[in-house]
Amino acid sequence: MIFSELYSVYYHTVAKILARAAQSHATEQEFQQLVMETAFSESALTILPALKSGRWPLLGKDFSPILRHPPTMPLTMLEKRWLKSIAEDPRMRLFCTPPPILDDVEPLFTRADYKIYDQYADGDPFEDETYIAHFHLIREAIRTKSPVKITMTNRYGREIRVRFFPKGFEYSEKDDKIRILASGCRYRYFNLARVTSCFYYHGHGPWREETPEVQNREVLLEIVDERNALERVMMHFAHFEKRAEKVDNHRYLLRIRYDQPDETELVIRILSFGPFVKVLEPASFVALIRERLIAQKGCELR
Amino acid sequence: MAYSERIKNFEKIRAYMREFYVYGFKSRTEYDKKSARSYDDERRRLESWLGDDMRFAQTAEGKKVFLSIDSRTAQPNPLYKAWKSKSFTDGDIVLHFILLDLLYDPEIRMTLAQLVQEMDKYLGAFEHPLTFDESTVRKKLKEYAQEGIICMEKEGRKTFYRRMPDTELSNMTDAIDFFSEAAPCGVVGSYLQDNLDQHASIFSFKHHYITQTMDSEVLAMLFDAMCQKRYVLVDNLGKRANEVKTLRLVPLKIYISAQNGRQNLLAFHEKANRLNAYRLDYMSKVRLEEPCEQFDALRAALAKAEPHMWGVNGRWSTKYLERVEFDVKISDEETYIVHRLEREKRCGRVERLDAHHYRYTAEVFDTNEMLPWIRTFLSRITRLHFSNRTAENKFKADLQAMYRLYGIDGGEGL
Repeated sequence: MIFSELYSVYYHTVAKILARAAQSHATEQEFQQLVMETAFSESALTILPALKSGRWPLLGKDFSPILRHPPTMPLTMLEKRWLKSIAEDPRMRLFCTPPPILDDVEPLFTRADYKIYDQYADGDPFEDETYIAHFHLIREAIRTKSPVKITMTNRYGREIRVRFFPKGFEYSEKDDKIRILASGCRYRYFNLARVTSCFYYHGHGPWREETPEVQNREVLLEIVDERNALERVMMHFAHFEKRAEKVDNHRYLLRIRYDQPDETELVIRILSFGPFVKVLEPASFVALIRERLIAQKGCELR
Repeated sequence: MAYSERIKNFEKIRAYMREFYVYGFKSRTEYDKKSARSYDDERRRLESWLGDDMRFAQTAEGKKVFLSIDSRTAQPNPLYKAWKSKSFTDGDIVLHFILLDLLYDPEIRMTLAQLVQEMDKYLGAFEHPLTFDESTVRKKLKEYAQEGIICMEKEGRKTFYRRMPDTELSNMTDAIDFFSEAAPCGVVGSYLQDNLDQHASIFSFKHHYITQTMDSEVLAMLFDAMCQKRYVLVDNLGKRANEVKTLRLVPLKIYISAQNGRQNLLAFHEKANRLNAYRLDYMSKVRLEEPCEQFDALRAALAKAEPHMWGVNGRWSTKYLERVEFDVKISDEETYIVHRLEREKRCGRVERLDAHHYRYTAEVFDTNEMLPWIRTFLSRITRLHFSNRTAENKFKADLQAMYRLYGIDGGEGL
């Protein structure tokens, strides 16, 4: 169903080569470049030799295509069904683009077919008109590299005004929230849902404030593989850049690289594994765990 | 067989990708010893597909291969490349381009004989021309009709073939970029992206579990079964017995975790008359069976159970539920803890006891599923009461073990 040569990089790369060949004066170098850009690193060993030798008789000796038109392919039923599914997702409202008309197509899935069961409940209002308008203005500003000025309510309930260059959006499925990635101001990001007004900024700065660099840190964990802890931990932290080592049949080490602003979140995520995950390094991180446990001990839970 | 970076069957590479990406601590000798060559081939393929994301570490036990990807910065999802490696024959690729060239416009319609005759004109100029007989071309056209890119029209005894109309997607670029990472079966979005003009996505993704990519085929088949309200036969690896069993199930809903990337199928196991959860990464070979007349009733029964499911464990009957209660203390500056309770609770309720104490209460099928979440409130839990006493004792014993682990309470610690 999903695994088909119709979607392979080979078909895709050959289509690009044939499209280029349909224009005049195509060179082998250009074809090689297309293979390097589109296909896998070892594909060069197959694609051009097959086309040049006539094993795939789609190009003449002078690189003229035997096809009469640039190659195209209609969408497959799978692609249409997936498009129909996303068209019914409430988050689609953000994009304000009417999806293609697919009246005779069954969606691949609907919201009744799946549930993200541990997503936080205070997700962004994806169908709110003001929220959508802010998303659109900022999206356009990202494209045109234009500065914006926003008014927003910060986490302490205070209203703040900031001007900055929006660089992109970051979505978290867990939080179900979109953040605006910023530069030219002292904040790295803003929650889109907290923005109360948003305009293009037509002034000239000054843009003295440097956006702080994210500090990348590392934590070393020891995992004791009881109650399936190894698999649970490795799956849970799979999205980080990481490296694991086996100490013996029972114990494993895991190094995780993380962004410093996410440290508190990482502390509580590690605590959730109970006594099967122990922080070994750095001492400052160990201290954060100890601090919580000492406070817990003080709660005199019996 | 000579090595090729293209593959016919995704299952084997699926297992290796999971090992390299999720774990990554095994050396070559720790993989199946009978198939060292297979290991070498799969590793080489992944290197070819994933390039710099493949890492190597030399240890006393040998060279270890692992995939190290920060999914927050790696866009688009690099694991999608594996789905674009399907093998094909020389005939397949040549037929593909010539057939779609002959049927260039949806207005053009041709019979099989006409197509075969025209194809010879394309190929005749070559020194050793490839030839295709009618049966091969018919088979390919039938396959393409099933894929939805060609349609077949019968007129009397004649069958005409023509291509399906193109679909305009140029205004969908941002939506496809977003949903190819944020919707189930996102790899299909990645296929669509391949046909869009080259561009940089404006989106990145945090807490992004690309692990799910490997299970896309299983997921799509299960969705299809639910869409058609059918039974499925599925091969399932039982972790306890470590053996694969074929199960007959009615798939009812996919439960996806945004906090650990696991995907579970909630399904009716008819033989056992139970609502069970099955991990998608342990499943393979999903086959659609006959329609299930009870499908709607089973889904309705699941909907009744869902308010008491913390994770994926549930039962048809809500008669025997477990009560979970815990209190937390907060200072004047810590109202965010109340917000955390409200937004992170999936069921149950939060009540204010006094200015500095709040209580969470729920009735659930399985208290054990809640323990990791409750531990995230360590430092402020003042009271616990679980009707499942074993779970409560386990929580408290684990807490004592944590104190010892970090040298609190007289343990050796660090």
